[in-house]
Amino acid sequence: MSRILVPCHVKGTVALQVGDVRTSQGRPGVLVIDVTFPSVAPFELQEITFKNYYTAFLSIRVRQHTSAHTTAKWLTCLRDYCLMPDPHSEEGAQEYVSLFKHQSPSMTFPKWLSHPVPCEQPALLCESLPDPSRVSSEVQQMWALTEMIRASHTSARIGRFDVDGCYDLNLLSYT
Amino acid sequence: MLQEESDLSLIIAQIVQKLKGSNLYSQLERQAWASLQRPEIKLESLKEDIKEFFKISGWEKKLQNAVYGELSVFPLPSHPAAPPEHLKEPLVYMRKAQGSWEKRILKSLNSMCTELSIPLARKRPVGEQKELLNKWNEMGTDEPDLSLFRPVYAPKDFLEVLINLRNPNYENGDSLSFRTHLGLIQIPLKVKDIPELKECFVELGLNTGQLGIDDSTQVPPELFENEHVRIGQKVLAEQDSAAAQQYIRQGSPTALRAELWALILNISSEPEDVLYYEQLKTNVIQHDLLVDSLIYKDVKLTASNDDYYFVFEDYLYQVLLCFSRDTSVLSHFAYNSASPPKSYIRGKLGLEEYAVFYPPNGVIPFHGFSMYVAPLCFLYHEPSKLYQIFREMYVRFFFRLHSISSHPSGIVSLCLLFETLLQTYLPQLFYHLREIGAQPLRISFKWMVRAFSGYLATDQLLLLWDRILGYNSLEILAVLAAAVFAFRAVNLMEVTSLAAAEAVLADLSTLKVMPLLQIFLFATVT
Repeated sequence: MSRILVPCHVKGTVALQVGDVRTSQGRPGVLVIDVTFPSVAPFELQEITFKNYYTAFLSIRVRQHTSAHTTAKWLTCLRDYCLMPDPHSEEGAQEYVSLFKHQSPSMTFPKWLSHPVPCEQPALLCESLPDPSRVSSEVQQMWALTEMIRASHTSARIGRFDVDGCYDLNLLSYT
Repeated sequence: MLQEESDLSLIIAQIVQKLKGSNLYSQLERQAWASLQRPEIKLESLKEDIKEFFKISGWEKKLQNAVYGELSVFPLPSHPAAPPEHLKEPLVYMRKAQGSWEKRILKSLNSMCTELSIPLARKRPVGEQKELLNKWNEMGTDEPDLSLFRPVYAPKDFLEVLINLRNPNYENGDSLSFRTHLGLIQIPLKVKDIPELKECFVELGLNTGQLGIDDSTQVPPELFENEHVRIGQKVLAEQDSAAAQQYIRQGSPTALRAELWALILNISSEPEDVLYYEQLKTNVIQHDLLVDSLIYKDVKLTASNDDYYFVFEDYLYQVLLCFSRDTSVLSHFAYNSASPPKSYIRGKLGLEEYAVFYPPNGVIPFHGFSMYVAPLCFLYHEPSKLYQIFREMYVRFFFRLHSISSHPSGIVSLCLLFETLLQTYLPQLFYHLREIGAQPLRISFKWMVRAFSGYLATDQLLLLWDRILGYNSLEILAVLAAAVFAFRAVNLMEVTSLAAAEAVLADLSTLKVMPLLQIFLFATVT
């Protein structure tokens, strides 16, 4: 089972603010980003990756359709996940972050269904033994990563700083 | 959980990659082949037997030391999506600031080049090569005309850049408020406070023996010193880098220091290393670089004028000129926020096959650079060993003192740590100095940029650098700077100008480093 990117549409941020948005005295501390999935087929979300920019805490809520007849419910997958241990300092402020399925405490990221076919929830990770096919795919990924690094560049010392014995230079370049 | 496991395998993959290019790898391979002759190595259990052989013969320890060395230097692997720039420096505005600063340096060097009509690099004619080779051990006797050269920058120029650093996402208003930093650094980096520093530097505590305190003449050596020396000898016999690093937190006996530092930095002088140094020497003989003149000028202005270091003038040229030609230094730019300057072979501007780095090691020396090398001359007399030690010290520590980054041991963090410590624990002094126009950082900056080299007495400096190695961090420089201010607080409270404050702090040569640090961290009422 390999991972693929799920096409999604990320809407602009909306500030949660009481009162008139135009009076900008108070800066809102909470912003909301809506993410929608235009794809038709159901998928199992494994990982969310993003680059942080000064967000201290993150909560993720998903809207799940269980069947055609019940209304869509909002579920909280992650609440107040800490991205910046000290919001007033730079730690974690511009880091790349990945959130995995197993980090969601009580449930998996639910499957998004676009058509009303009831479906089983996939087996949960945390308590039971890991699924062998999953483990083997993880191991495969790690191996691929190792191979990729091995193939990419050598760390052998180069030694030569000249080009064919010539080190007659112009000026230093600014690019 | 799985994320940690994949992090670990990534770290392992990177370290394996790094070590594959090293001498150790080929040595281990040779040893493994040679061990096949041994009777205890059986084909059925080949892997286990060879591993056992490595353990007994001490090769496993060497590998452990190498891995430990890599872990000390290389930052934790970042997220797979993070680009290489992120590893150099995660904060975008700091990367930009470093880029602008570098551009200024390049412009300065280029204008020096054009004004003086001196090329950046020039192949020496054969006669000149012979002459230099003959003079190699006494380059200090040379008196070239360096009057037209000026250092590319001095620490105070760099300080101005740091003072003007701003985080575009940080709003603290134009007017002074409780959110404005009272010091010069306006970047909200996380720095440790005294309780955290006490935890971090626990071995410097009042109940732990220290060299620099408990080896003074009044203290009988049976109480601490003898035992400490004995343990040091044992650590050296075991050849264990990690143990040496832990040991040296309490200071190194003078007789053991050279070996201990070499063990911690994982420097062994193999024939290949001596050969490599000789190759660098050949490069110096063959090509003359503009930066050589900058190095000469720096040595003449700083180390040659210093009572402790002038005797080592020749060594300094032998190390620094070779350092400029060493392309292996380029690999440290993977985790340094700085980037090596680029140039093109004359006439081939813009053609990537003719792009080179200048100088070959990518490091442009600034005023005071030679002081990083000078103290090491007391420990190492063999040029190639001295060279290796300096190079390793540079790519582990010193580079952080003159590049703009958010790293906890970077100069920006050290400045902020110093200012915060002073503000928090000596608020009256801080306020007074600010009021008279003597921002404390303006005085202490030069100490930290040079890691106190040239300001402290040599024996004290070496005790300080013991702890830099022991804790693998430069934070102790900021703590010492604050401790010095605390020590001279009474005099400083009485001055009424920046010049007078500087005069109070001009001479640090009588200071004893370890008592100052210990009192500041562990004996000051907070």
